[in-house]
Amino acid sequence: MGMSGYRFDRLKVLVVDDNAHMRKLVTTILQAFGVIHIFEADSGDRAWAILRDANPDVVVLDWVMEGLSGLELIQMIRTNSTAPNPFVPVIMLSGHTSMDHVRQARDAGVNEFIAKPVSIKTMMSRLVAVIEHPRPFVRIQGYFGPCRRRRGAEEYRGPERRSENPKQQTAE
Amino acid sequence: MARQHPIELFMPPNMLKAKVGGGPGGIDTAAVKRAEAAMETLTSEFSDWIADDVSVLIAARARYAKTPDSEARAALLRAAHDIKGQAPTFNYPLIARVAASLSRMIGELSAGIPIPLNLVDAHVSAIQVIHKHKMQDTNDKTAQILCAELDARVDELAAAHKK
Repeated sequence: MGMSGYRFDRLKVLVVDDNAHMRKLVTTILQAFGVIHIFEADSGDRAWAILRDANPDVVVLDWVMEGLSGLELIQMIRTNSTAPNPFVPVIMLSGHTSMDHVRQARDAGVNEFIAKPVSIKTMMSRLVAVIEHPRPFVRIQGYFGPCRRRRGAEEYRGPERRSENPKQQTAE
Repeated sequence: MARQHPIELFMPPNMLKAKVGGGPGGIDTAAVKRAEAAMETLTSEFSDWIADDVSVLIAARARYAKTPDSEARAALLRAAHDIKGQAPTFNYPLIARVAASLSRMIGELSAGIPIPLNLVDAHVSAIQVIHKHKMQDTNDKTAQILCAELDARVDELAAAHKK
């Protein structure tokens, strides 16, 4: 347990990436944080099976994969009636870093976005963000997922605007 | 008109916080230090990891050369994209730059325009040279010239085939 006192050892984390080195990197960081229960999937299809089997608390997901992409997987997590937990926080890792890509990820229902290269501090801050600053969920025509009100790559991540009262929102 | 559609907003219970406790939040500095130390133990493997990723790229190039269909094209892009995202972590930022140029080239060409293999090969060779000579300093003059040349060639190609 570190200064912030999180019991990361109680978390079940699913790491989805078709690149074995990237999985090793991410799991090494998570293990050093104290996460013990880590499931790895090398494809979106395999991840879907693990999701339904293990019901993880957090998903760390790569975007670009052969077969089922990270974006498609998250849409399944959020909207498929057999998904075990449509609210599960998803942290997306991506080499795509343009605003357009960040918006696409947001529109698919990711909670947090990490632009590669992955840094330890960013991984920690996104993990803390999903624990401390869960966003309200919204269901509107064509979308179900975390409220997308924050705009822009930095704002998308940052906690600055999270004190707003969801009840006051009339449109996202 | 969008407001005619019903909007449901709700706050799911924070099961995660209930599970891990802690707080008021913030960075767990001890955990970050542990992770930095753990990452350090991996650095000896990074060069081999780059070599593996380059092998995947070469195989994807060969597949595309043999059968230039959309799957082969996507595999080539994925291989370049992976290297672009990972090479900085593996202490090869210049390789990431070359891979970014290759990704841009493949991404900017419309699906109907064949990917020029000679330019793919130029990128692959540059990556191999940077890796072989362990050019890890972004200020390396030779590598900078190489990268600038590749960027220029990709710019020319993109301009000629603007989507």
